Amino acid sequence: MTEIVTIQGLQKKFGKFQALRDVSFTVNAGEVVGFIGPNGAGKSTAIRILLGIMKRDAGQAQIFGKDVWKDSLEIHKRISYVPGDVTLWGNLTGGEIIDLFLKLHGGGNKKKRDYLIKRFELDPKKKAKGYSKGNRQKVGLIAALSADSDLYIFDEPTSGLDPLMEAIFQEEVEKIKETGKSILLSSHILSEVERLADKVAIIRQGEIVESGSLDDLRHLTRSAITLVTEGDVAEMTNVNGVFDFEQKEDQATFSADNKHLDEILMAASKLGVKKFESVPPTLEDLFMRHYES
Amino acid sequence: MRENFAQWETLFLLNLKRDWKKIIVWILGFGLFSAAFVPAFKEIAKGNGLLGMFETLQNPAMIAMVGPTPVGTAVDYTLGAMYAHEMLLFCGLFSMVIAVLHVVGHTRKEEDLGLTELVRSFQIGRQANSFAAIMQIVFINLLLSLFISVVMISFDAETISVEGAFLFGASVGIAGIIGAAIALVMVQIMPASSSATGSTLGIIGLLYIIRAGTDVSNVDLSMLNPLGWTYLTYPFTENNWIALVFALIFSLIAVVVAFSLERGRDMGAGYLPSREGRESAANSLLSVHGLFIKLNRGTIISWLIAFIVMGAAYGSIYGDMQTFLESNEIMKQMFAQADVSIEESFTSTIMMVMIALVSILPIAIVNKLFAQENRAYLSQIFATKVTRSRLYWTSIGLAIITGAAGILIAAGSLGGTAVSAMGGRSTMEIADFLGSGFNFLPSLLFFIGLASLALGWSPKSGKVVYVYLAYSFLLNYFGGIVDLPEWFSKTAIQSWIPRLPLEDFDASIFITITLMSIALIIIGHFGYNRRDMIEGA
Ligand SMILES: Nc1ncnc2c1ncn2[C@@H]1O[C@H](COP(=O)(O)OP(=O)(O)OP(=O)(O)O)[C@@H](O)[C@H]1O
Ligand SMILES: [Mg+2]
Repeated sequence: MTEIVTIQGLQKKFGKFQALRDVSFTVNAGEVVGFIGPNGAGKSTAIRILLGIMKRDAGQAQIFGKDVWKDSLEIHKRISYVPGDVTLWGNLTGGEIIDLFLKLHGGGNKKKRDYLIKRFELDPKKKAKGYSKGNRQKVGLIAALSADSDLYIFDEPTSGLDPLMEAIFQEEVEKIKETGKSILLSSHILSEVERLADKVAIIRQGEIVESGSLDDLRHLTRSAITLVTEGDVAEMTNVNGVFDFEQKEDQATFSADNKHLDEILMAASKLGVKKFESVPPTLEDLFMRHYES
Repeated sequence: MRENFAQWETLFLLNLKRDWKKIIVWILGFGLFSAAFVPAFKEIAKGNGLLGMFETLQNPAMIAMVGPTPVGTAVDYTLGAMYAHEMLLFCGLFSMVIAVLHVVGHTRKEEDLGLTELVRSFQIGRQANSFAAIMQIVFINLLLSLFISVVMISFDAETISVEGAFLFGASVGIAGIIGAAIALVMVQIMPASSSATGSTLGIIGLLYIIRAGTDVSNVDLSMLNPLGWTYLTYPFTENNWIALVFALIFSLIAVVVAFSLERGRDMGAGYLPSREGRESAANSLLSVHGLFIKLNRGTIISWLIAFIVMGAAYGSIYGDMQTFLESNEIMKQMFAQADVSIEESFTSTIMMVMIALVSILPIAIVNKLFAQENRAYLSQIFATKVTRSRLYWTSIGLAIITGAAGILIAAGSLGGTAVSAMGGRSTMEIADFLGSGFNFLPSLLFFIGLASLALGWSPKSGKVVYVYLAYSFLLNYFGGIVDLPEWFSKTAIQSWIPRLPLEDFDASIFITITLMSIALIIIGHFGYNRRDMIEGA
């Protein structure tokens, strides 16, 4: 597998404040990587370093095997970027700005542009100063999605979009994914990340605290179990890997450590299972665990 | 190296497209202002005009304001010499200020707004934007220079030579480039666009004041001053092109320094460290007026310091005036006939200039309320029990108090320095200076009134108040030199006010203009209370 983005031990200080302590992760060809973490964790900073807009203090950062600072222009030929807050020149129209961005990018697709303008229901003739927040965001998205790139970097791309438009964005990203492009997606909308991402990297206070495929990560955490047994269900409290046990009449709900699933099942079957439901952890659960710890 | 500037030409063309209206107004408006007074000056030159003007402008106080002339005797003082003498320094100064505002607007301001981030994600060199901005300045100033020269030549005046006209135009153009180059350096150092603009204008103001001193004491020293390289070209007389070469070299070095500073900093960052602030608000912040004072504090303090320096700089000239009179028989007779002292005469002129400058500060404070509103900083305050009237009157009140303080400080500083410079020979007391300054209080209130009116009824035109201020300032300034029709000069508010101490105080005019200003403020209040709040337009 070719590595499209490689980050190793990235560090960045703003004055005395250490914004990034140790950030490492990779994005492989054809992969969508979700980049998530609490506010101020350092996501946008890491992305700005990847774009060569800010200079790192230490560590390695490469895209397409090239250094993100030294070869940024070479890299920018093949990437597209959408920030969470798209700012535009007030006296140009949305259509003009999209065309300009495509020209600056160099690899624009006119047909796709028109198609996306229709899909996102953007009025391209309006001056940018008259756009609402969501409409400004659409301008950035349309420009990025209609450019032909190998890596797409999105930093909270759907902030301000309505749910309908968000769905359209997700569909379009899936299409891009199918053509084998790589995507780095930072977002607080975890359902979006869960739907699109193959892998996630969770950052907290400038450090990557968890990374891997969603399945792997799920494995590391707990599923929510609902259980009804013939015997006394309260005995389950003592089983290894059972947490947050709660009982209502003869029905128990608890979270189960996936590592101990086998033991839990054995103990339950000894009591005689009448009902067993397991809900895999959502990304949200995963995330909360890292937020709170 | 070249990579850093990649695709600058795309941004350059984009900026031309975005700015074309502004550029046309800039070149035509400012170009005509610089070049088209030739016929008016022809009028002055008639009869003994040239001689009279030559003698008047020998006064060190006048040199401090408009600069020196290389001409030694009145016979050589031609129309061209006079035009360059009286116009070039001012035009150069103006040219610089416009260029500074433009450069900061296209570089640091866009960074602060977040525009740069998206642009840099394309195949655009890291410094392409700065380079495009500086190239645009060069381009505009080139056109401006040509336009000025052609307009001047078109008047076909005998002593306005073609070479001189081109040099005059080029001097105004180079002034813009110098201003832009200094601005580009400050853009890299300062933590935000507003401080970059403020510090650059401060530097230019300082250069102006320093050159006032060196022009009077030793003109050669002014040749070390970047501002000097504009008006010391002496068009139509010495045609000193070499000054332009200094200016070009200086600008080039400044731009190179700016670019290497830019390479070493992150987007959105400066070189001045930002300190950590307090965790909870001080009690002095916890009120509408506390907030407004805090928001305007930096501006107010820097302007008040500027007023002190300005007053002291002009005040220090008073010592030389008597010496000058004693050495100049014609001038001595002129003043003796008019039965005024040279100091009083100068005070009445310089006070008009200073109070016009002081008026900028309160206008800025009133306009700031709309700037805050437009950036949606106030939206959460609007949603509290704080009334609009409260916001309005706090701003207006702050403007009036700082305006009055500005007059006190400027006139006081001028008077204090002047009285001590004149020593025992003083014909004036500090009270005369303060009286002369506060005599202009109604005009200051009038500008606050206009700004309030704009704030209430048409907030986007708040900037027009500055335009009117500049207009009325120039009208008064040149009104002393060129004979303007009465109705025309009366379109400037200051023209209604008698110049103290030369003329007598007129209580009825003082009261009338004050009442008019209060009426404007009240009308503005009506508008402000009922109009839509405009956010993010
Ligand atoms: N230019 C800057 N100067 C000083 N500190 C900065 C700067 N940019 C970011 N920081 C700090 O670095 C930290 C990381 O910021 P960053 O914007 O990367 O967070 P983020 O993970 O993108 O957060 P969010 O989810 O809110 O977008 C924050 O504490 C922020 O205050
Ligand atoms: Mg962010």
